[in-house]
Amino acid sequence: MSTTSFKPVFLSLLLALLLQLLPWSGTLLMVRPEFLLLAVLYWTLRAPHLCNIGTAWFAGLIMDLISGGLFGQFALAYALTSFFAVTYQRRLALFNIWQQAGYVFLLLLFTQLITLVLKLFAGGELPGWEYFLPSVSGILLWQFVIFSRLNIDSRSNKA
Amino acid sequence: MPRALEHQHHTGFFVRGPSPTARLFFFAVLSLVLIATDARLNYLVEVRQGFIALLHPLQIIANAPLNIAEDIGEYLHTQTTVVEENIQLRTQALEHAAELQRFKALAVENERLRSLLGAAQLSSQPARLAEILHMSRDPFSHKVVVNLGSRQNITPGQAVIDEAGVVGQVTRVFPFSSEVTLITDKNLSIPVQVERNGLRAIAFGQGRSATVELPSLPANVDIRVGDTLITSGIDGIYPAGLAVAEVIQVDTDADSPFAHIIGKPLAGIEHHRQLLLVSIPQVDRPADSNTLKTPAPANNKKATPPKRHVNN
Repeated sequence: MSTTSFKPVFLSLLLALLLQLLPWSGTLLMVRPEFLLLAVLYWTLRAPHLCNIGTAWFAGLIMDLISGGLFGQFALAYALTSFFAVTYQRRLALFNIWQQAGYVFLLLLFTQLITLVLKLFAGGELPGWEYFLPSVSGILLWQFVIFSRLNIDSRSNKA
Repeated sequence: MPRALEHQHHTGFFVRGPSPTARLFFFAVLSLVLIATDARLNYLVEVRQGFIALLHPLQIIANAPLNIAEDIGEYLHTQTTVVEENIQLRTQALEHAAELQRFKALAVENERLRSLLGAAQLSSQPARLAEILHMSRDPFSHKVVVNLGSRQNITPGQAVIDEAGVVGQVTRVFPFSSEVTLITDKNLSIPVQVERNGLRAIAFGQGRSATVELPSLPANVDIRVGDTLITSGIDGIYPAGLAVAEVIQVDTDADSPFAHIIGKPLAGIEHHRQLLLVSIPQVDRPADSNTLKTPAPANNKKATPPKRHVNN
């Protein structure tokens, strides 16, 4: 029994940011999962004492910067999402993997919905259904990471 | 059985610090203030520029894999492909040289005719070669980010072209990079002219379908499918005569007094990574040349560009 240390959280968030910054284009850009959001959600659900609403908000702010959109829209969406993640975090530990994945999928969709609403308020156009593809690819990546037992946090694996 | 998200045991039983609701309230208010500030007042331009500059090293690291892969690809080019490419480029250069000679003669003639008419002289516009760093993070906005910024004296509003035609316009400038909005973006419009008959119109980006639209033209307008739209140059930003789009659809509806005209941009940013950023030309705007003054203020005006760079 050990607590997650700060280092893996920080490193995985940095890695997620780098993945987000890769020069994606074309179809890959359309299906690219939100790496940063997934990393934030993972740590919010696993270690809320290290990664909380503030972390999510800050990650959202960086997303705002690199996406060049309205300042604060991703920040708001990420903060709201991580609020729901934190509120149900203890109950979620009782769920099985597929129920957890379902909940995470809902959270991903919720984030996209919030950013969509904010974009529409700012005078954006209504995108097609493919707008929600990143949520689908995101949940696939999530399940892949959970199943592959990626050694994100070596210490808790040993425990 | 694979490991699920097990609950983390930490020293305290309760998560310390303020309650999630309080945190959410604090950060939601903070983001709403940011959104309002950014949307209504343009206070955050410098803040954004500063943070983008801070993120620049990360961007370089993220771009590194692709650059390395490209370098390796270039290194592994076989000699035959290089020779072939060389021959192709040589013939192209010859063709272009012939065209250029004709163009030079025409330019001289044109300038002479302009001076005869007393019209404003079009100075040549310096351009800089930029490389695309990445597409916009948001697949639904039509923007790209290039590797020149305010350090290289790029200013917002500059036209961006490639060898086939107009790509768009610089909309935001950061210290080491700048954001180019494509002509297909919903918020960008560009004054055009039909090459065949000189008819002037304004092309608006359509956003979603990566096309441009010519609205508010009468149903009997003389535009056909296949017509080329070129820049008219009357906005003083885009050099005149650059190809913009090809008309792919002309619908005249009996119910509507307007024709529905759709054009497909000719520039292809998917195929290459180099773009040209054209400086804003220093021509006398009609408002300036209409005032009956001696050329002295015009000289003053020419001295202003450095000042503009300082502002950014």
